[in-house]
Amino acid sequence: MSNERSAAFFRAEGVLISRGVVHAATWMAAQRAGFRERAIRFGQAALAAPVFGLLGQNDRSLGNRVAHLAYRDMTSDRIEVLAEEYVEDVLDDKILDSGVELVKQARAAGHRVVILSEGISEIMTKVVERYIRGVDDLVCNHLEYKDIKATGKLLDPVIGGYEGGRWAASYAAEHDIDLSRSIAYAGHGPDLLLLSAVGQPCVVNPDFTLRKAAREADWPVVDYSA
Amino acid sequence: MSKGPTVGAPISIPQTYEGRDILLVGGSGFVGKVWLTMVLDRLPEVGRIYLLLRGKTRGVKQRFEKFVNETYVFSTLHERFGADLAKHICARMEVIEGDVGRPNLGMSDEAAARLRESVDLIINFAGLVDFNPDLRDAAATNVNGAVHIADFVESCNHARLIHVSTCYVAGLRDGRIPESIQPLTPSGEVIEAQAELAKMREIIAKTELDNESDEVEAQLRADVIARLKARGAEPSEKRIVDMVVRLKRKRLRETMSMAGTERAKELGWPNTYTYTKALAEYLLLERQGRIEFTIFRPAIVESSISFPFPGWNEGFNTSGPLAYLAKTWFRHIPAMPGNPLDVIPVDMVCKALLIAGAALLRGEHAPIYHCGSSDRNFLPIDRLAELSALSHRRWLRENGESALHKVVLSRWDTVAADPDHALNISNVRSVLNQVTRYLRHGLPEKIPSELRDFAGRLAKSTDSSNRRLRQIEDVLDLFQPFTHDHYFVFECRAIARHQVVEAEFRFEPESIEWRSYWLDVHMPGLRRWCFTVYDNKDREQYEPATRFEMIDSPRDRPADTPRKETG
Repeated sequence: MSNERSAAFFRAEGVLISRGVVHAATWMAAQRAGFRERAIRFGQAALAAPVFGLLGQNDRSLGNRVAHLAYRDMTSDRIEVLAEEYVEDVLDDKILDSGVELVKQARAAGHRVVILSEGISEIMTKVVERYIRGVDDLVCNHLEYKDIKATGKLLDPVIGGYEGGRWAASYAAEHDIDLSRSIAYAGHGPDLLLLSAVGQPCVVNPDFTLRKAAREADWPVVDYSA
Repeated sequence: MSKGPTVGAPISIPQTYEGRDILLVGGSGFVGKVWLTMVLDRLPEVGRIYLLLRGKTRGVKQRFEKFVNETYVFSTLHERFGADLAKHICARMEVIEGDVGRPNLGMSDEAAARLRESVDLIINFAGLVDFNPDLRDAAATNVNGAVHIADFVESCNHARLIHVSTCYVAGLRDGRIPESIQPLTPSGEVIEAQAELAKMREIIAKTELDNESDEVEAQLRADVIARLKARGAEPSEKRIVDMVVRLKRKRLRETMSMAGTERAKELGWPNTYTYTKALAEYLLLERQGRIEFTIFRPAIVESSISFPFPGWNEGFNTSGPLAYLAKTWFRHIPAMPGNPLDVIPVDMVCKALLIAGAALLRGEHAPIYHCGSSDRNFLPIDRLAELSALSHRRWLRENGESALHKVVLSRWDTVAADPDHALNISNVRSVLNQVTRYLRHGLPEKIPSELRDFAGRLAKSTDSSNRRLRQIEDVLDLFQPFTHDHYFVFECRAIARHQVVEAEFRFEPESIEWRSYWLDVHMPGLRRWCFTVYDNKDREQYEPATRFEMIDSPRDRPADTPRKETG
């Protein structure tokens, strides 16, 4: 009998949280120190929305990079404090209880719980600490800093692209995980490879591309809004 | 005879202070009290601590009891020792009536003789920290006080002196400030301490004389009569004389303050405080070879990081007004982005003082010790301004008085800006003044009474904001040389040369994580202990379960205990 464990992979956006990185980036941009800065960075972050609209169902890397430009020149002090406020005040009613319930169930079933997110670590660590119990690993994006100021760039690898499947394979090898006994919950087109890599894929609140793929692959589709 | 410590060997703080008698002068100030509680808490084997206090209206014992019972800094000692606190303190301490402004430190002959024999270390914390006080007061405490203490040290059997000064004696210089002292003014001219002392006394005498002149008397008299007439009061001779005397006293204080500032600026210091502290250092320098001393220069001493508890602070400190400003609608702090504000927590200062004192007792001391953070853990003022604004944002989110405060004021960020910015504090005050004047006198005659009442209330509020901004403006003017005009980094290496055995006494400014210190320690401390003072609210008082009362206690050390060799 194999000693390998199984894992449950959750894509945070759409499965656990009803808001994505554009929402976070525009909110953060609107809280910058000067009024001029607020306007410019807000516009910059908002630009990511059409990019996601056009390309998001296939590759979300570009959208992510555009959205996170809004953090340029923001200090780590400000990002930390605002992240705390964003998580406590803004995301409080944006957490999807049905998704949290799925995490609980996965935990109870003995899976190692892994959360993947396009969000930045400053926000996502607080989300996990505050709202989602029993998470073994959080894999999310990291801002690049120079001294204490963000450059607006994301450190590689940028979560949100097609790397999910490859990443899952290397993660499984590193943590001795049997992917065939593992579950994945995701809702975006680029998560297709992640879902294909596991034995029990589940599509949650999918976009058009993923819904179509799920239908073709006969994967279960779950829709919830709370 | 036991062998003394090897020179350069790591210092054990408890061992070095064991059985040592220490005289504290100015120990009732912010740093002095933390130092005292730290020693009482962590160095129980210390010899005898003599605390010199001015009697004022009540006796020194009652004053000390009031400190211990009402000041939160002693709360940890109360909690630790409970009903035994009096026994613990009185076995190690004696409060002595005296006055640093008088020869022999104003002590009785008996007390002075006793202390001359026994004291190993004298720490002079005394200082008038107002930036531009009456020159006579600054001279009495900062200069004459230091001279009297040095005289006393010279008359002692074996006492050594730590003179607590300030890093800002550097004056209006730029760049790295070394841990050294040279008899030069900041503008680079040679200064002769005795001649400058004579000059300062001459300025004081001349200002006093000028205040007594017939012209001043006549001018004040005319002002008083005009003022009384304007009020419609009967200008009786007695009333006029009384008012003239009061005004003369007020004028003298103001002219003394101006005279001090003028002399300080002439020589390259930004204010009377730094000028008089520097003069005291030069006067001490003349005693080199006659007494053993070290000069300890802290930078901006702020809330404790852990002892007696995180966030302990007191009074009208330096970063407080800047941080306070960040929670008002005013948002442009006159500061140069990238300039450091050399903040150092008070408990770190006390540890550094213990190390410097131990080195002095072992004869391994440096002549000057800087105690700051800018050299080893740089904090730029723009970061400080942002952290203050973020802290207010966090606080207002939960505690804002209204939706306006919670939603708008919390997002009204403070930024470091040029002093000449269009929205500087002086312009904001001027607008507020005009608004107040309009609300009081400029409204049309025929408006509903409700509207007039509302305008009256609004005027009261704008007037009070204006008064508060005025105080802050004065403080900002005083700080501007440090926050905007000059760039100082105070070298802080001498303390690091002494290795300390016990981790709890090490001076490690590198360990300060500024974000958590500012957000979780310093700002909550300021909010609790200092902002209440700025808002003219009552200061929180400690209420111990068992009140401390001094008891007569024999000295710990029996008469036949051999004295430790010094140096």
